[in-house]
Amino acid sequence: MNVRASKDLWAGIMFLGFAVVAVLAARGYSMGTAGRMGPGYFPMALGVVLGLLGLLIVARALIAGSGAISALQLRPLLVLAGAVALFGLLIERLGLVVTLLAVIAVSAFASRESRPLETAALAAALAAFSVGIFVYALRLPLTIWPSF
Amino acid sequence: MDLLSNIATGFAVALTAQNILYCFIGVFLGTVVGVLPGIGPVTTVAMLLPISFTLEPVSAMIMLAGIYYGAQYGGSTTAILVNIPGEASSVVTTIDGHQMARRGRAGPALGIAAIGSFFAGCVATLLISLAAPPLAAIALEFGPAEYFSLMVCGLVAAVVLAHGSVIKAIAMVVLGLLLGLAGTDVNSGIRRFTFGFQGLADGIEFVALSMAIYGIAEVAHNLERKENEVQIAGHIGRVWPSLSDMRRSFPAILRGTGLGSILGVLPGGGALLAAFAAYTLEKKVARPPREFGHGDIRGVAAPESANNAGAQTSFVPMLTLGIPSNPTMAMMIGALMIHGISPGPRVMTDRPQLFWGVIASMWIGNLILVVLNLPLVGLWVRFLRIPYRLLYPAILGFCCIGTYVINSSIFDVFVLAFFSMFGYLCLKLDCEPAPLILGFVLGPMMEENLRRALLISRGDPIVFVTEPISLGFLIASVLLLAVVAAPAIRAKREEALQE
Repeated sequence: MNVRASKDLWAGIMFLGFAVVAVLAARGYSMGTAGRMGPGYFPMALGVVLGLLGLLIVARALIAGSGAISALQLRPLLVLAGAVALFGLLIERLGLVVTLLAVIAVSAFASRESRPLETAALAAALAAFSVGIFVYALRLPLTIWPSF
Repeated sequence: MDLLSNIATGFAVALTAQNILYCFIGVFLGTVVGVLPGIGPVTTVAMLLPISFTLEPVSAMIMLAGIYYGAQYGGSTTAILVNIPGEASSVVTTIDGHQMARRGRAGPALGIAAIGSFFAGCVATLLISLAAPPLAAIALEFGPAEYFSLMVCGLVAAVVLAHGSVIKAIAMVVLGLLLGLAGTDVNSGIRRFTFGFQGLADGIEFVALSMAIYGIAEVAHNLERKENEVQIAGHIGRVWPSLSDMRRSFPAILRGTGLGSILGVLPGGGALLAAFAAYTLEKKVARPPREFGHGDIRGVAAPESANNAGAQTSFVPMLTLGIPSNPTMAMMIGALMIHGISPGPRVMTDRPQLFWGVIASMWIGNLILVVLNLPLVGLWVRFLRIPYRLLYPAILGFCCIGTYVINSSIFDVFVLAFFSMFGYLCLKLDCEPAPLILGFVLGPMMEENLRRALLISRGDPIVFVTEPISLGFLIASVLLLAVVAAPAIRAKREEALQE
């Protein structure tokens, strides 16, 4: 089997990566002693444990092998994450309605089955519904329209 | 009597017009997401967390609880009519339920699922009100050492019940604990793992993390599969099961309810495990056994009773100990925290209205569900015709709005985007997110209790073994791990968790 596509190998590497970040960051906090724990004590302990687990997972993947990662499809993921980020960029500038229309329009590109007219109708319906529920019914602090 | 006056307190709260309305909204939404295969109760509860912020705590909890057990009802409808589990916990219902539907007995299958669920829901509600007070009384005596060991035990149980590799699940727990520590340390005031981001000063927003993993990452994962045209078994017919159906199913409902109630209380348990175990048990003990897999009504009655019982009794550890047994309960704890209520044994004594109100609402909710589900089954089936391409942009939009409004923070929205990618990676690498979420919720509490326990013992870790209750939890954790490591049981476990 192709080692480079091994699920467990990459999972182990991911955990190792987080462990390294945790340990490096925890070094900056004072450790204290077990009886008087500093802010660095527990994170450092967890970081070390996570690192060991990561190593174990990597070792096991190299020795025993593991299932291969199913084909990555980055398009839906990147479109969706991008749509979320777009929401963050627009919401305070353009208000709920315009932001939602834009976000839904972008998110439609995540699926090959989306149809333009349908998406437009959906976006309009969702924007109206959200304004009704979130702004009028629940009185959440959201602006509706762009403020210039 | 105490129990009666407690229940009376509960009904006084749950029967106000406002709370009945929120109970109805909860079970209604629960049924809808239960019916729809692409979206589950965890996602829905996550999406509604920000809304619950605007409600009174008891109304919020009533609504969120309704989503969880309501989804168990809805899930069976899809399982029976379409042969797709609407919810993970109705996977086993597809086996006999859909066979019944193909033989023209969809009606009785739906009927018995609802009746079994209702019966189980009533029994489980009663059990909660009996079991919770003594449990909370014990928990009030717990010191930091006991609490720490209890959390260890709970997390180990969550690991044991996760799909796939145990080591990866442990690693996910540890990573969850670490993520939970981000933000300002309460004892020293030092900011940890904020990497200079002002927005992380209060930690990673729980709502953003859970919506990223159970909302956006799930959607990305679902979009990889091609959408199939839904084939709905045509004729539903009479919903009420015949007398002989009832007689056959009744023992199965009893067994399912009993088993589900017990499994629901265990850490790591809940609806999913209960349904699997009940079906397996039923196949072993029911006589004659030969019809299982070919539309045996007991194969619907037992798991459907069990998943509802388990869904409800899993509130016991959450409400009395403050320990979540599954991701949905972690969300509920998140909801309590949003309202500034720290979950644990004090909730019952300090806020009896909240505690008993939620429990009483389950009774009402179950009643509403039977009324909603049996006559209106045609309506739910129509929801199944909503294509996923229309559903997922809505999920995305609500996740964004929900994350933003909780703190009016744009930073949280970017956190949502970041952890969506992380969540997708986890799904791709077969790393179950449930242990991560549980670890995240328990991280700060665990550190605090560890710190206090060792402060009292002047740094001597022996305290965890010399306190008998603490020792008991630790032994239980070791046993659980040993059991999973044993090869024979490992094979069984894989078989049992196989979807």
